[in-house]
Amino acid sequence: MTTANPNPPTPRPTPTDGFPTATSQTQAETEAILLKHIPQAGADAPVLAKSSHMQFLVRNLVQGFPARYMSQDASQPWLLFWTIQAFSILQVGLDPGNKQRVIDKTMAAQHPDGGFGGGPRQAAHLLPTYAAVCTLAIVGRSGPGGGWDQIDREKMYKFFMSLKQPDGSFLVAHHAEVDVRGIYCLLVTATLLDLLTPELVAGTASFIASCQTYEGGFSSSSQSYYTTDNVLLSTPRPPLGEAHGGYTFCALASWVLLHPFMEVEKDKPTIDARNLLRWLVNMQGTEIELGGFKGRTNKLVDGCYSWWCGGAFSLLEAFGVGGSREHIPSSTSEGEWDDADDSLFNRKALQEYILLAGQHPAGGLRDKPPKNSDAYHTLYCLSGLSAAQHHIFLSSARRDAILDAWVANPAASPDLADDIRKHVFADSLSWTEEEGGSLIVGGKDNRVNATHPVFNLTITHTEGLMSYFYKQTLPPRVKASSNS
Amino acid sequence: MPTLTSSSTSSLGDVLGLYSQRQEWSDVTPLPQYEEANPAAPIFYSEEYKDATDYFRGIVRTGEKSQRVLELTETIIRLNPAHYSAWQYRYETLLAINAPLDVELKLMDELAVSFLKTYQVWHHRRLLLTITRNPAPELAFIAASLKVDAKNYHTWSYRQWLLAFFNDDDLWAGELDFVDAMLAQDVRNNSAWHHRFFVVFQSGLREGETDRGRVIRRELTYVKQNISLVASNPSAWNYLRGILDANHLPYTRVEEFVKPYAASTQDTSTTDLVDLENPPPPRGAELPCAPAIEFLADIFEKEGGKDGVRKASELWRSLADEYDKIRKKYWEYRIREALQTVQE
Ligand SMILES: [Zn+2]
Repeated sequence: MTTANPNPPTPRPTPTDGFPTATSQTQAETEAILLKHIPQAGADAPVLAKSSHMQFLVRNLVQGFPARYMSQDASQPWLLFWTIQAFSILQVGLDPGNKQRVIDKTMAAQHPDGGFGGGPRQAAHLLPTYAAVCTLAIVGRSGPGGGWDQIDREKMYKFFMSLKQPDGSFLVAHHAEVDVRGIYCLLVTATLLDLLTPELVAGTASFIASCQTYEGGFSSSSQSYYTTDNVLLSTPRPPLGEAHGGYTFCALASWVLLHPFMEVEKDKPTIDARNLLRWLVNMQGTEIELGGFKGRTNKLVDGCYSWWCGGAFSLLEAFGVGGSREHIPSSTSEGEWDDADDSLFNRKALQEYILLAGQHPAGGLRDKPPKNSDAYHTLYCLSGLSAAQHHIFLSSARRDAILDAWVANPAASPDLADDIRKHVFADSLSWTEEEGGSLIVGGKDNRVNATHPVFNLTITHTEGLMSYFYKQTLPPRVKASSNS
Repeated sequence: MPTLTSSSTSSLGDVLGLYSQRQEWSDVTPLPQYEEANPAAPIFYSEEYKDATDYFRGIVRTGEKSQRVLELTETIIRLNPAHYSAWQYRYETLLAINAPLDVELKLMDELAVSFLKTYQVWHHRRLLLTITRNPAPELAFIAASLKVDAKNYHTWSYRQWLLAFFNDDDLWAGELDFVDAMLAQDVRNNSAWHHRFFVVFQSGLREGETDRGRVIRRELTYVKQNISLVASNPSAWNYLRGILDANHLPYTRVEEFVKPYAASTQDTSTTDLVDLENPPPPRGAELPCAPAIEFLADIFEKEGGKDGVRKASELWRSLADEYDKIRKKYWEYRIREALQTVQE
């Protein structure tokens, strides 16, 4: 389990072919800094400084955020989510008093016409709506003051529908932009709260598919064209902006969430999973970049892409790309496979980036040295670390068990298509951590909690919230192996 | 993710003082953000910001849309350009009072430069343009802001939106030259490569672009020449793949071009010959070039059969073990997948 190598060779710099440009210069500067974070031969295994990150998080939660966070005034539910979910990944729960304060602050951001805003009396917006609902999944409860029953689901649904565009996309807020982050946030919220309907997501999968670029990753959005009598043209439908890690995660997770609806989607959209995989693996930096991920071709590595890119590999597995040992021949002539690790990215190297470069000595995690830590990078570095440590897969056995235990809801409104609800519920909750599938750099003290590959909540928090809103009782979990 | 900015930009508030001290605002009841004294995770706001947002909440409550709302929202935007509610309310106010949008665009010219990385700056512009419908001056403005930040995601998407939305031949006319200029500054700028793909292959057919055979030849020549300038530029290799994939062309079409880039040493015997179809690796190139090895392996895999898979696997093995070790798992996966096709 130790990473120390008796004679680590100095890694090769990224080739410049004798032709420096602005890109290769900033790349070289970054490599020079990162090189200093590569441990000497015989150094101790890297340690996740859990207690100093805890102190950083507690300080933000209890004392508050310094003035430079004024720029996040319209993202207050995010500040809460980043902080609270980071606690969850560090395997720490909140005391009832702090939980209540977080619930109260979150609920103050609910808009009277549905959805949540960036703070009290701010306009409703899809991004803080996701952050608020996920925060409530962690700290909330049913009953008075618990948050869950105070979410106005009917108004939220109306708010969602009011943002819907003819091409299947959604504005992130009234008069605001369309982008796949908003669609991801809407789909997660609707999935968790039992609000997904065929009406809500009609055309959305086609929109997502149209955002895939020639590089394989996804862009922020696409431009639609219509005939003179307002019929959407299937082509051209160009992506706006290049392939990008954050948008790619959101697009891919949306794609997974839309899976139960693909059958009813009329133009049967497809995405190119092979090209997506190729792009994703190429986002991982080389040894000299300590194996961190970048967000775009020819850009720099950044800790937050540990999650947006590193976390996307589990999602790819959901439709059969990589991962599961069922598809892999047990022996090959090469005889070199590492049986403990069937993932398609370098899990060990990603953990090293986070541990060696991502941790700020004063607590919290960061984009890259010598930057400061912040709430956003703290969560997404930790989430990425979790994705690199654990193997979470869609268990068909778990799915069958959930489907068997499903109790049809006689009170459900008829247009909520109970069969689709059932599959949304079962698909979301059959993600399972593979026993023995963990690979933890630095030893077991560095272990963090597994997190749900789609929602970025712990499995327990996801189960708690969803079984409440779907009015279901989950069957007990049996120990999972990767063959289930 | 927007970076954290400090509130250094000077604002009207510096000159006129806090809203709470101004006579002409005395009819507005400011609304504090939280009723409880100690909300969790508070932000330490500056006095100026707290004052302006308290008045903004007061205005939102009454629904007032007036000239002074433009001043108030500008104050907030200058202190926190990510305050999307202030932008949203400002937009509604502009429409409600029929404000002159050329004045607004002028202000946006200034704010875009100060707050380049904010979504809202670019989106607000887009809203204004859909009303003013005068896209022509925008191209020069965008070009100027790309001088400050050549890979700004919002700026590039805004340019692409502008071209696609107005879809005017005059707007499109200069785009290839524009990409050339951007790539001449930095041939590794992936945003510029993506823009080229958008212009050439994804935005419909325009005059002069209808002969697709000619366009494909032109693009192949263009990307090959750029690879022969910087061999290991992933942006250019992705563009090459993009051309072939989008037009359903086999990778073998450029096999002769790719081979010398996958070789371990420069073949000096041919470098004196000028072959425009197959420009050689640059003299300073660090060979072999991993994207070229990958490309050749794809050709062999497509060729199929035991022999094709064997040749592809050898190349993937060389990537896994020597030239691209960080992606070892992926290259081994490619080997396994390809082996399966011949075992069946
Ligand atoms: Zn980042």
